[in-house]
Amino acid sequence: MFTLQLVIAGVAVGSVYALIALGIVLIYKCSGVVNFAQGGYAMLGAFFTYALAQAGLHPALGLLIAVVLMGAVGALTQILILRPMLKAPVVAVMMVTLGILITFRAVCLFIWGPDQLAFPQLFPAGVIELGGIFMTYNYIAAVLLSSVLCAAFLAFYRYTPLGLMQRCTADNTRAALAIGIDVSRQVTIAWVASAMLAGLGGALLASLNGLSVNLSNIGLVAFPVIVLGGMTSLVGAVVGGVVLGVLQALTDGMLTPAIERVLREYTEIYSVGALQQVIPYALLVLVLLVRPQGIFGTRESERV
Amino acid sequence: MTLRQILILLAVAACILLLLPGLGRYSAYIVYVVAIASIGALALNLLIGYCGQISFAHGGLLGVGAYAAGNFGNAGQDMVVALAGAGFVTALISVMIGLPALRLRGLYFAIATLAAQFILEYLFRLLEPLTHGVSGLLIEPAPFLGFGVSTDRGYAAVSIILLVLSLIGVSRLLRTDLGRRFILIRDSEMVARGMGINVARTKFWAFAISGFLAGIAGGLLAFTTRIAAPEAFEIALSVDYVAMIIVGGLGSLPGAVIGAFFVVLLPEVVQRLGEYFNAATQTSAIREMIFGLLIILFMIYEPRGLNSLASRLWRRWRGAGTKPAKTPSGAMDLRPSSEPAE
Amino acid sequence: MLTARDVTIRFGGVVAVNKMEIDVRPGEIVGLIGPNGAGKTTFVNAISGTYIPAEGSIRWHDEEIVGRSPSYLARIGVGRTFQNVASLNDLTVLDIVKVGRSVRKPSGGLRQFFFGNRRQDNDLTDKFLEPLGLADHRDSPLQVLSYGHRKAVDIARALAGEPDLLLLDEPVAGVAPAEAFALAGFVKRIRDQLGCAVVMVEHKMDVVMSTCDRIVVMAAGAKIFEGSGAGVQSDPEVRRVYLGDA
Repeated sequence: MFTLQLVIAGVAVGSVYALIALGIVLIYKCSGVVNFAQGGYAMLGAFFTYALAQAGLHPALGLLIAVVLMGAVGALTQILILRPMLKAPVVAVMMVTLGILITFRAVCLFIWGPDQLAFPQLFPAGVIELGGIFMTYNYIAAVLLSSVLCAAFLAFYRYTPLGLMQRCTADNTRAALAIGIDVSRQVTIAWVASAMLAGLGGALLASLNGLSVNLSNIGLVAFPVIVLGGMTSLVGAVVGGVVLGVLQALTDGMLTPAIERVLREYTEIYSVGALQQVIPYALLVLVLLVRPQGIFGTRESERV
Repeated sequence: MTLRQILILLAVAACILLLLPGLGRYSAYIVYVVAIASIGALALNLLIGYCGQISFAHGGLLGVGAYAAGNFGNAGQDMVVALAGAGFVTALISVMIGLPALRLRGLYFAIATLAAQFILEYLFRLLEPLTHGVSGLLIEPAPFLGFGVSTDRGYAAVSIILLVLSLIGVSRLLRTDLGRRFILIRDSEMVARGMGINVARTKFWAFAISGFLAGIAGGLLAFTTRIAAPEAFEIALSVDYVAMIIVGGLGSLPGAVIGAFFVVLLPEVVQRLGEYFNAATQTSAIREMIFGLLIILFMIYEPRGLNSLASRLWRRWRGAGTKPAKTPSGAMDLRPSSEPAE
Repeated sequence: MLTARDVTIRFGGVVAVNKMEIDVRPGEIVGLIGPNGAGKTTFVNAISGTYIPAEGSIRWHDEEIVGRSPSYLARIGVGRTFQNVASLNDLTVLDIVKVGRSVRKPSGGLRQFFFGNRRQDNDLTDKFLEPLGLADHRDSPLQVLSYGHRKAVDIARALAGEPDLLLLDEPVAGVAPAEAFALAGFVKRIRDQLGCAVVMVEHKMDVVMSTCDRIVVMAAGAKIFEGSGAGVQSDPEVRRVYLGDA
């Protein structure tokens, strides 16, 4: 029963990971840019929601406006920062996204300070009991909202004309250019979508765990997720996110206490610390070594 | 590096060493902080700028060096022995981090190093017998070749000497078969393999040598700050070092020093300004903001670094527009060709 | 010296090389020709260790070399050039030749570290750069050179390892005719000088005819003809493959 409880908590957090990882994969597929700043967008989205709620708006309305604002932020970063860097070395592009992350963090730190803030209630408080498992509305809402969004997004990507153009751009930029797709605009759209997804994910996460600048660390957790799923697979990102969320919850709730019991018996080490935070990375290294293209990714061949 | 350049370097170093006794404590502090960061940046530049292996685990590696040197020093070893020991230990860890690089390339490898960084951070907190966990390992002063150097000036002298040795060492290394293979692998791993180069072995040496230097830099950090604590070696430090070598110039030896100078001095300057304007409470946020914005601006306008900018200005000043523009040595080009991989 | 039998290479479902065989004897120059897509380069890649064939055997003297790494093969004396010259950034012509040398004949690493090796530099220049007309460019970075020069550098690089077998993958493709014949002449001279065998993949018939001792024709992944230059031109099968069923 306890296990199931943990799994559900894991799925809730994992579905938020999925939202954020989706954004990273989207941008990567479209433009080959690895966006280390994704966690920054998540954090910013949460802070926008917080600020709007503080200003007296209903939290849900605040969230909606915040997500739209995030879209604008995404477009701006792509146009102002990434577009001039088309020909820059890969390391420089990675670095510029890290620069964006640092700047966003610093801005939030400057305005809202380093302390944990009470995030406004997005959903009514309350608990459902189902056969001995307790679920807060918050968790249920997070799971539902993220899964609906993920599904909607995947459907959009798969079935709409815009989604088709996005896939074209991602598949082969030159061919897309040749058939008259405005690639540059498609990339901007990818950034907008991905910033919106991240902003929403950030707000959901804040409603589960509270809000502070450290929320931005989630962007780094998303990397194990996408590597697990395969850098280029949107479905992989979603599955990877959920798997990782569950794994973390199980580690925290069961594996850590078990290991600590053993360690205390035989060694002088008293605690293994935040094991659940390292697990994703250990898993990542393992996956990369065994199956570098990820679970859902495809192998790319090269020509001499 | 030609003989002439080595002589100039030695002369500059000698001047700094001669001036040291006249420097105030703060200036001496700046000298050694920059010199240590330069050694660390040099190590990372060897790996990223010359061998093309993007790593975000450098902060953790400096930490390994710091803890190793601290433990050796506390066991009563001379600083030279402790630093050398730290170098070897860190080289070992660096090679382990490099293992995925045998199968992964570019981006995927960079992400694997990110994982390595977090695992190292975790181990620093976990392995209390070696690291004293969150409280940090206190480090006793150690003599350098028998001389007591536990003053700011002493540290400055030691760091300058080691920096000069590292600079000469790396520049010579780049003129050997091994060094040329580094550059070839950076430019195209596939071509290098086709030419019959043992890519795995070459990368092994890149990680080992870079790790050795990182260990020395980390050890110096430990001896000068007298403490090695986990929060000093987090991912932020890795980012600082990557920033240094990009700001200075990828694949450029002077670039490593220029970048270290820039990234280390920036917070000092902002700190001063903050004190001046009585805004000390917000300085850390402002400092981060300026750092972030500068990185962004830098990457957009000068992705090849200050060193390339400097040589361009130098050429313009000399009016040498007649010469065919030879790409500044070291300007590297990691276009998206280094994509996913295998 | 080199004996390949039944070499088959597949990419997914496509059979690129199908039961290909070849023999190379010491000191001869073999031309490997065939229409586009015949699998010539793929076959060369298999010999040099870049691709591992799904079936078949490749023997070097008495050693089975299928599955060996390119670096191992380079060490035992199989050198190669590339069809497309890579865009390398910083390395100078001499640097690249030195890299090529080092895969077969390493020069003491520590000695290089401390003293450099000016004599070796000059030797390499005289021996490999001078004959290819590259001596003046020895300190230029590769990217400022013309395409023809870059191809020549690649050949000098492969030769610097003093291989026993040199695989030339379209050495004169995209090179001006005059330069092409100079290159071909150089290949012959180098064979006489170093005594190495050469397998040359090439489209330019006149170059192949004038340089090669023996010609192997490939089509659709398999060998369809082997013999002298005159024989190639009169063979009906080869004519069919090249000219269609006229």
